[in-house]
Amino acid sequence: MSLSLVTRTVLRNPPRALIPVLNIQSAPVSNDIGPKRAETPEYVVTPSRGTYDTTKVPSFKAYKTRGPPRGHQNIAYFMAGALGVTTAVGAKDTVASFLANMSASADVLAQAKVEIGLGAIPEGKNIIIKWRGKPVFIRHRTQNEVEEARKTDWKSLRDPQPDEDRVLKPEWLIMMGVCTHLGCVPIGESGDFGGWFCPCHGSHYDISGRARKGPAPTNLEVPQYSFPTEDTLVIG
Amino acid sequence: MAGAFTTTLYRSLFQRNAVYLTAIFTSAFAFELAFDTASNRVWDSFNRGRQWKDIKHRYINQADDEDDE
Repeated sequence: MSLSLVTRTVLRNPPRALIPVLNIQSAPVSNDIGPKRAETPEYVVTPSRGTYDTTKVPSFKAYKTRGPPRGHQNIAYFMAGALGVTTAVGAKDTVASFLANMSASADVLAQAKVEIGLGAIPEGKNIIIKWRGKPVFIRHRTQNEVEEARKTDWKSLRDPQPDEDRVLKPEWLIMMGVCTHLGCVPIGESGDFGGWFCPCHGSHYDISGRARKGPAPTNLEVPQYSFPTEDTLVIG
Repeated sequence: MAGAFTTTLYRSLFQRNAVYLTAIFTSAFAFELAFDTASNRVWDSFNRGRQWKDIKHRYINQADDEDDE
């Protein structure tokens, strides 16, 4: 006889002693520990024979918690809720750290904007500054140059764009100093149109930075910029 | 007395699941705010005098204090 069979047999036929038989006459109920089952009248039907009425639901009065009502429920719900709170915070932080990974870091943001004082640039002069690793042309245009840029028949150009769309203030022309052909840096105040000339492949730009001659396919790019005060310029 | 309190607590917070969940998310927000503030304060007091914001005034004048951060 194997061990499992023995176990099964024992479980199926428990010895008499394991079944709680209440015998009032022979053994008085020990009520030192635990709830006093025998004292609830529903539990024992016929005390003389020590039998139960198994069809009747016994009273669980003795097991009821004492103390204020809803006390244990409150504790259980509070614990579950506290776990929910910490889980929500942890989940939010996890997601936030992944998203923060994608945003620009502080050293990138520090170089994202450049501020220039315009008071030092006389009329009719170019300066070149570096912004995000690329040169930016700033031209203080004279009145004649502005008129020349405005009266050009821009609709017939290769990349048609009016001068009004390329500048915020007519006397200040700000654009990226990168030739749109292959990325050289054009030379200022030269070329056939009084603007810029790219020495690499001979692209000519006019005084508004528009491509006029040569292989350049588009006009010089205008970055985003603003004038916070009358004589300061912020690029970026 | 205590029974009235626990019953009120149960009725007002736990009985309706919508109220319970709202309370959980609201207190998660408040808890995170409080936790972050408190831990930042602890960090700052532990590293007092060593951080850039503590020594910034020595290197940057108030006159041309450009806010480029």
